[in-house]
Amino acid sequence: MGELFDIFNYALGIRALIASIMVGAMCGVLGCFIVLRNMSMIGDALSHAVLPGVVVGYVVAGSGVLAIFTGAVTAGFITAVLITWIQHNVKTKNDAAIGIVFTAMFSIGVMAISKISREGAHLDLDHFLFGNVLGLSNADLYLTGFITLYVIFSVFLFYRYLFATTFQPVIAETMGISVKTVHYFLMLLLSFAVVASMQAVGVILVVAMLITPASTAMLLTNRLKWMVVLSGIIGVISAVIGLIVTDFYNTTPGPAMAVVVTLFYLLAVFFAPQKGLLFKYFHRRKVKHKIQLEDTLKQSLKLHERGNLSLTNLYQRLGFSEPLVRKNVSILERKGLLKRKNKELLLTEQGEKEANKLVRAHRLWETYLVRQVGLNAGQIHEDAEKYEHILTDELLDELEASLDYPKQDPHGSPIPQKDNRPSFPLSNLSPEDRARIANHQLNEHLVYRLWKLGLLPKSEFYLLKKEEKNLQIVLDDEGQVITIPTSLAERVNVEKLVDTYDE
Amino acid sequence: MSPSISIKGLSVSYDRKTVLSNIYLDIFAGQLYGVIGPNGAGKSTLFKSILGLIDINSGKVQIQGLPIKEQRKKVVYIPQRSEVDWQFPATVMDIVLMGRYPYKSILQRLNKEDKRIATEALEAMGIPHLKKRQIGELSGGQQQRVFLARAMCQQADIFLFDEPFVGVDITTEDKIIQILKDLADDGKTLMVIHHDLSKVQEYFDQVIMLNQRLVVAGDTTAIFTQENIAKTYSGQLPILHKTHIGKH
Repeated sequence: MGELFDIFNYALGIRALIASIMVGAMCGVLGCFIVLRNMSMIGDALSHAVLPGVVVGYVVAGSGVLAIFTGAVTAGFITAVLITWIQHNVKTKNDAAIGIVFTAMFSIGVMAISKISREGAHLDLDHFLFGNVLGLSNADLYLTGFITLYVIFSVFLFYRYLFATTFQPVIAETMGISVKTVHYFLMLLLSFAVVASMQAVGVILVVAMLITPASTAMLLTNRLKWMVVLSGIIGVISAVIGLIVTDFYNTTPGPAMAVVVTLFYLLAVFFAPQKGLLFKYFHRRKVKHKIQLEDTLKQSLKLHERGNLSLTNLYQRLGFSEPLVRKNVSILERKGLLKRKNKELLLTEQGEKEANKLVRAHRLWETYLVRQVGLNAGQIHEDAEKYEHILTDELLDELEASLDYPKQDPHGSPIPQKDNRPSFPLSNLSPEDRARIANHQLNEHLVYRLWKLGLLPKSEFYLLKKEEKNLQIVLDDEGQVITIPTSLAERVNVEKLVDTYDE
Repeated sequence: MSPSISIKGLSVSYDRKTVLSNIYLDIFAGQLYGVIGPNGAGKSTLFKSILGLIDINSGKVQIQGLPIKEQRKKVVYIPQRSEVDWQFPATVMDIVLMGRYPYKSILQRLNKEDKRIATEALEAMGIPHLKKRQIGELSGGQQQRVFLARAMCQQADIFLFDEPFVGVDITTEDKIIQILKDLADDGKTLMVIHHDLSKVQEYFDQVIMLNQRLVVAGDTTAIFTQENIAKTYSGQLPILHKTHIGKH
């Protein structure tokens, strides 16, 4: 056991713990906006550039907390203004502008420190660089507390402004939000946070506490609100664990916190739901298996149609390994899509239906590529092989409707129809029959297409003429004649009416 | 009828290079305006001037008789999809609710009423089921409709679209143009920056042909002629099929 209990027996230890919690929360919250605005390098720059301010504050007013704070914030803010000014007014690359300004500021600070040290002043560069959380005074703690509250409260109060200017600055501007003001305000908050964290983690590693928790949180959620909350929590936990690690291994707190926060980040990189690498890997594997399984089913249908469905023929057509085909066949068997009788392999009725869905997707997609994208029939098969596994039912219905219910694909093969047919299609009527458009249609695209023709559910009409390509109906209400393509009429559900007038 | 946007003698230059020179234009409600012209013709600059996003050298832009600063709620801008960070951690609802921001002072929070208005806007666009989706998970057409829903949520009168049809498929393009026509029928003012000249006749009631100066503006059927297109695209004439263009 380290000196943990020793430390916490002393006020110094407690102060270190409280300061770490506050710094973790503040940097975590503020860091979200720094990360989303692609300003990570500015965070790094500001933290280095406060050094000359610290020196000036020290020289002017001695080691008072407020003097050093004021000097540092002023230096930080001047740096932010300078960087922004160069980026807007000088033809220098954005990141180069950041590098030029902060190295200059930092160097001036280092030179100033060596000068005043030679003159006998005591200002420890190491503490500035790597923090000195165990040497905090009460005054330091109050200042950190005040700044933390100020920063978190500001983010809460101006959340909408930060959201809008971060997501779409131009839109924020059209809504009357001054993007420039928000930018400088954020720079001011950033300077505050950097200075307040100086003693806990040191300026070199502040940037770790700013960007790493935020980047971790971004992997875990899809909403800025929750990202801010999570990032704050991750910041706090990392800071506290870092402090404990420091005590156990007798190291410096700043680096320990930075290492802990990076570990959290790595955990998220691998294990985050949805965005984590592991999740993506399993997802890809699942998709691959699904595709192999669907391909097995489709080839079974093709062989079934030729009357030579067998395991051996399946290997040959699929080009998969034997065990894989066997495995897929038994999965399909369990799903009731394939059946084994003695040594024979059979496709069940359900299996045929499912396989036809894939064929439908494949052929509809090919038709789309030829008719609407304008590819020629030779180039489309590969593409359709991929898309048949991806297209959803909803999308296929829409595709079918926009292609006007094609019957054949570009190679002349029939496109299987979806099995749900209208219970009584309009095309079944004979001339003079009266009917009403049924309330229930197969899908909303049909309703839309009918609406475009001027037909609503419940519209009553009689059939005037029936030709090979078109049907003509007459609406009861206005006596208007409407021409409907046969391809559509075959899919429209109607209710036949018995005409009472004729009796 | 007084114009909803009135532009008088507008000139803009960047770095001493003239981008727009002495533009006079009146834009009326209830019409769909297409804005066309070659690259660098000042189409975006025209929008930015109307939106009050840039300093203008001379001239005056008024929205329903008042300067833009007093009319911010009334005017919405729908940017190109490529200008948006689609990885941003925000859901569809978060984005649509932005339309309520101009109605809120610093201390006011969004309330139930705001959420109701946002939900209605989503319903009007036919995407209420997507409200919890992260914006990057949507298709191009759906993304475009999210921005339209935000504009409706803001209850604006004037809509400025920057190339809304880039990167969406034909079916979606048809749906979006239908929505725009419906908005015009509802008495809204719509301006659309557009590149595809073959659709101009079909889409727009009015066309504004721009190339640093205003070449011509008016009824599409009357002024969208080969001659005017040649004037607008001097030197960079796009290849066009004759049937797409009105008679001389």
